[in-house]
Amino acid sequence: MTEEIGSAEKKSDADLDHALSSALRTAPLHPETLARVRAAVENEWRAAAAVERPSSRSRRWLWTSLAATIAVGALALGWFARPGGTAASFGSISRLNSGDIDVRFAMVRHHSLQAGSPVRVGDILTAEGPALISLVGGGTLRITAATVVDVMGANEIRLERGMIYVDKPLAASGNLRVLTRAGTVEHVGTAFEILSNDQQVRVRVREGRIRLRSTSGDVMADAGTELLATPDGKVAQHSINTYGGDWIWVAALAPEYEIEGHPLLDFLQWVSRELGRPVKFADEHARDVAEHTILHGTVRGRAPLDALANVLTTTTLVYEMRGETIWVQSSP
Amino acid sequence: MGAGEQRAFDEFFRDSAPRLVAFAIRRSGLDAASVEDIVQNTLIKAVRNLASYRGEASLFTWLTQICRHELADTARKAARRPGHDSLDEPEVVLRVSQQLRAPSHLEPAAEVDAEQHRGAVIRALNALPERYALALEAKYGDGLSVDEIAGLLGLTPIAAQSLLARAREAFRERWVESRGETRNGVAPT
Repeated sequence: MTEEIGSAEKKSDADLDHALSSALRTAPLHPETLARVRAAVENEWRAAAAVERPSSRSRRWLWTSLAATIAVGALALGWFARPGGTAASFGSISRLNSGDIDVRFAMVRHHSLQAGSPVRVGDILTAEGPALISLVGGGTLRITAATVVDVMGANEIRLERGMIYVDKPLAASGNLRVLTRAGTVEHVGTAFEILSNDQQVRVRVREGRIRLRSTSGDVMADAGTELLATPDGKVAQHSINTYGGDWIWVAALAPEYEIEGHPLLDFLQWVSRELGRPVKFADEHARDVAEHTILHGTVRGRAPLDALANVLTTTTLVYEMRGETIWVQSSP
Repeated sequence: MGAGEQRAFDEFFRDSAPRLVAFAIRRSGLDAASVEDIVQNTLIKAVRNLASYRGEASLFTWLTQICRHELADTARKAARRPGHDSLDEPEVVLRVSQQLRAPSHLEPAAEVDAEQHRGAVIRALNALPERYALALEAKYGDGLSVDEIAGLLGLTPIAAQSLLARAREAFRERWVESRGETRNGVAPT
């Protein structure tokens, strides 16, 4: 009886394998066709790569900036230099996706920071690649390549240029103040991104609420709002999505989440927060599984979406993106 | 690759293009010329937007997302075109007559059976969650090992093995349903 069933199952498995193999094998494109595709794609790639390389225009801009810096040298020196004894801890480098972080202190000493290095008050950080900094008191600061951040105090930084993302959950202590050309950004329990260039400062609020204190007064902004502010005090507001392509760089720098011994629901909430997308359950069974499943193993080194896919394959749940929502359901 | 390294582009094209061709053929059943356009557009959009790819999903998964948009665009454009050709046009008469002619190396009945079988498998596959379908395509269509599938989908080998097992079971259910309906004379939807 057992053998007969086993034999029938084997035959059924073989039928299934044959059905899939015979239907899914495809003939490759003709080599000439593939060569045509390659030529077109390669041309496009060369054009795109040329745009990304530093242009002579940006080099001219660098020289202009340098000249301007020298012209206002006395003012800048007074602004940059701080007492040499300041060494309070600000945080530590959790991850560097590429390159080091160059650190200046008091305009004189230079050294490099690697993953694990402490960041101290008084450091002026220039990131060669994307970096994640864990903050003393909780929360993280994520910075993109070529961003310059001046650590003014344990809870105060100045964004010289580039883009940062501040994530200070409500449970974290201390409110980080970010000084920019267009004013100071303050918050209470929130996540937001700031981009600063010569012309303007852009603040995008992903969670909670921030206050921008500029020369023309205070502006409050809630989650899903973008502020565009100029150094002369003009501020414009727009609505934005808190998920999607604009936030991919933030997810790529997400802190590691240790799943070992944690409920699946906690992990889903972490994914939700990192991707800026709400998680919804399609059925009660799916919610029940998420609440009662304890995870084991690790998803170290995986971006949130890959970690989600990885973890759910070991459960009876599957997920699907529907609009902004991560829709979790029992597997079919 | 974003920095313009030739070797990186060579690897990108060598690893991605053939799999993307297979993906587009399986998901659409389009002819070679249409698939060429779709794959070319997909890869061009990918290299233009490389800066936006930050590893939130595996590279191949990202490419298939772009490819699915291309396939959907093609389907939309096809739907907007007239449903039938005018036989007043000499070029159309020539093309339609060529399409009506069966290839000499095929037995028509066997070809119809094979197409019906393939259609049933593809429909069952399309009804699965995307990652299940990608895993089965990689195993049975591209002949990849579990380790290679793990690399392709950004999974650990254990997770890839688990995904394949689930995908296979889910496919079995859909396929059995589909075959049952076919035997009873009802075309699977």
